[in-house]
Amino acid sequence: MADGAQQSGNEIEIKAVSKVFGLGAAAFHALTEIDLTIRTGEFFTLLGPSGCGKTTLLRVIAGFEHPSSGQLRIKGQDVVGQAPNRRLVNTVFQNYALFPHMTVAQNIGFGLKMLGRPRSEIDATTSEMLHLVKMEAMAMRKPAELSGGQQQRVALARALAPRPRVLLLDEPLSALDLKLRKEMQTELKRLQVETGITFVFVTHDQEEALTMSDRLAVMNKGRILQLGSPHDIYHAPKERFVADFIGETNFLSLTVSAVAGGCAELVLPGGRTVSARIAEGVLPAKGETVSAVIRPEQAQLVEAGTGDLSATVDGSVFFGTDTHIHLTLEDSQSFTVRRQNTVGQADPARGARVGLALMPGALQVLRG
Amino acid sequence: MKRDSHRWKWILVSPALVVLILAASGPLLIVAVYSVLSPGNMGGVAWDFSTEAWFRVFFKRDIFDPETVTLNADHLAVFQRTLWLSFQTTLICAALGFPTAWFIATRPVNRRMVWLFLITVPFWTNLLIRTFAIQELIRNTGTVNTVLVWLGLIREPVDLMYTDFAVLLGMSYVFLPLMVLPLYAAMDKLDFRLVEAGYDLYASRLQVLWHVILPLVKPGFIAGSILVFIPSIGAYVTPRVLGGGRSMMMGNLIGLQFGQGRNWPLGSALAMVLLVIVVVALIFYLRITTRETGGRDGRH
Ligand SMILES: Nc1ncnc2c1ncn2[C@@H]1O[C@H](COP(=O)(O)OP(=O)(O)OP(=O)(O)O)[C@@H](O)[C@H]1O
Ligand SMILES: [Mg+2]
Repeated sequence: MADGAQQSGNEIEIKAVSKVFGLGAAAFHALTEIDLTIRTGEFFTLLGPSGCGKTTLLRVIAGFEHPSSGQLRIKGQDVVGQAPNRRLVNTVFQNYALFPHMTVAQNIGFGLKMLGRPRSEIDATTSEMLHLVKMEAMAMRKPAELSGGQQQRVALARALAPRPRVLLLDEPLSALDLKLRKEMQTELKRLQVETGITFVFVTHDQEEALTMSDRLAVMNKGRILQLGSPHDIYHAPKERFVADFIGETNFLSLTVSAVAGGCAELVLPGGRTVSARIAEGVLPAKGETVSAVIRPEQAQLVEAGTGDLSATVDGSVFFGTDTHIHLTLEDSQSFTVRRQNTVGQADPARGARVGLALMPGALQVLRG
Repeated sequence: MKRDSHRWKWILVSPALVVLILAASGPLLIVAVYSVLSPGNMGGVAWDFSTEAWFRVFFKRDIFDPETVTLNADHLAVFQRTLWLSFQTTLICAALGFPTAWFIATRPVNRRMVWLFLITVPFWTNLLIRTFAIQELIRNTGTVNTVLVWLGLIREPVDLMYTDFAVLLGMSYVFLPLMVLPLYAAMDKLDFRLVEAGYDLYASRLQVLWHVILPLVKPGFIAGSILVFIPSIGAYVTPRVLGGGRSMMMGNLIGLQFGQGRNWPLGSALAMVLLVIVVVALIFYLRITTRETGGRDGRH
């Protein structure tokens, strides 16, 4: 839109931000030493389980909470202590927080009205926004007369109307049913690309985070555990929590036989050795037992006696597009393989002995 | 089936309805009947139909020439003062009640009860005693004047007693909790995330107050205003003690007819006038305050 051109650079810089609620023994560390840089024009996602501090971090950025310590800059300008109404940041609240006494159109025009824009501009932008979120027909309704999805779209339009630099979205899709949710995901992504506004999106749905974000941060207990592209986070999780939280994972406990050139040689049950990547900041030693991960789709069932491992089939679960086959390895660790389904393919029988081939380079040694 | 349950509903509420109708309309009926009778010699009424009382509510006959009729300026002045003082009391209570209720509503949940409790403490003391306490503050040798003279701000005590100001002060003090409580109830229901949404959308504090908070607590203001205005109109003790004969309100005028005046029909007619004023004021008030919200969304 107006300044839709993607500028490069950093939109939000967060340095060592902590937030403590309460005092003394009752003190609760909601955020601990958060370091985060959000780039201009990107779709950035904060992902983490309930209570990990996602909303608190958004509230710090929006200005509703003051950080207990640390620095916060928006477009290079220190904003700690600046009131929320002076920050060019708008929020789509977790519960929408639409003004119940105003119509849809009045809700959308509110920000511009408070900015003292002329009536004609407010009207023009309001109808543009109504069109953008396909709510023209409901402009005169009150929020109480809208469905959840419609309210969500109004909340989005209201936050977009003043054309903020940054849009903060706090689990905006969590109240919607699956179909509407998928629709809104596409719509949000389209809006973000069209407007060029920096989106900071909060969710605890890993699939949503992976499909929508340019980059994402995985949080737990007030800390950022890992930050990177969806690809990085999925394929190169640094620690167990991240690997476990994003997608399905096989954890294997294996012994290191050699370390060379950023790779570790691991001994598999059955005696074969295989080369594994090492997560950043991990220093495995020869002879040490480490935790390694591999995704279910990165292994393949093969003829018994061939492949890297041999295993016994425990059962299989049909998921439509694919089937999850649960296995037990020789040393009784469990392992799941995901197999793409084709017509007429038979599932392996329970108790059958099979071989397992690992994709080269798929295995990774984790931190801790 | 539907109609059946409907009938049951009426049967079940009928005892309450009977009590309500008798209790509410019974006394009213008596007053209405009394207003068209003649005064008895020793108070009370004589059972002769007469419109004299109603006539005397608004007009005065010349003592020497009963045919010369003038408007009863004394009564009209009392009506006017009553309305004006009640209106001002409501405004003052609203102006003081809003920040008070806001203060309470923004305390931590477990403290709010304590504050609400403190708000009701004055109700524990007899109204007359509280009114005398105010008198003690503002009379010529009272606390306020003594302190002001002692500070040298004034040379002579200021006459505060028996003025409209004194009555206003007393009524505002007495009726303030009636404004605070419904306002608090409305604020308690207020979703504070809406306030945040207002700030988020560039509204200043004042704009949030005006565009978000006030519209949302309006039902509290309406309830509070009614609760303050109606008893103000009918106030008796406060204007009696603090206003004396100089700043009389309708309640005192009516009381006078049943006491020294020994003119029960006139008192009854005045009471009916009071009732009409309250009803008209209420209708007028509800008209203007609920106009733009409309009946359907009155919930908000
Ligand atoms: N005002 C507050 N006072 C005390 N503790 C708070 C306050 N606000 C949040 N917390 C605590 O901080 C932690 C993080 O809360 P936050 O709302 O940021 O979680 P979240 O990641 O958004 O969770 P969810 O996914 O459930 O919305 C929680 O344990 C919460 O109890
Ligand atoms: Mg949250």
